[in-house]
Amino acid sequence: MKTRIKELRARYDLTQEDLAKKIGVRRETILFIEKGNYNPSLQLAHNIAKALQTTIDDLFIFEE
Amino acid sequence: MKDIKGIVLAILVAAGVLLTLFFYLRGAGEIELNEIILVGIVLILVGLAMYIVWDRLKNVQKGLPAKDERLTNINYKAGYYAFIAAIWSAFGGTMIGDIFLGHELKGGDVTAIVILISGFVFVVSYLYLARKGN
Repeated sequence: MKTRIKELRARYDLTQEDLAKKIGVRRETILFIEKGNYNPSLQLAHNIAKALQTTIDDLFIFEE
Repeated sequence: MKDIKGIVLAILVAAGVLLTLFFYLRGAGEIELNEIILVGIVLILVGLAMYIVWDRLKNVQKGLPAKDERLTNINYKAGYYAFIAAIWSAFGGTMIGDIFLGHELKGGDVTAIVILISGFVFVVSYLYLARKGN
């Protein structure tokens, strides 16, 4: 699974730590989600999408 | 606040373990090789546990949570691996005594083996999974 988190973070000028603070997770969790090494729960995916003012569909790219 | 309580509790437990070890070694007299190995494993476990505590403290100081859903999942996974290791080490501990030493190990020795191996597996798999991501 790929994500657009990095791209959207850059758009809002947010560091991984800023985003982590906004949604209440550790910085490493954001890093692993960005790298595709961790699949977040639906709740966390929703929180990230909300923080980046987008939708889950737009944020995560699912490959068949 | 809950995070800080957990960290303080972990430090107190580690201090308790080290203090117990100190009094044990002071009263033990002559120490055998297997006891040195056991003490070494306990010290490694305490060291690794302190690393985890330090990592959490670092996050709390930055205003980030000490633990999140990823670490909770890792905790469950590492706990599962430790449980499997405990079962196999209980079985293996009695077998080792029979095969290599020619006599059955005492219940206390097997308990020590089970606690140390499962503790070691928990900490090592926790650290491995935390670095891997999932």
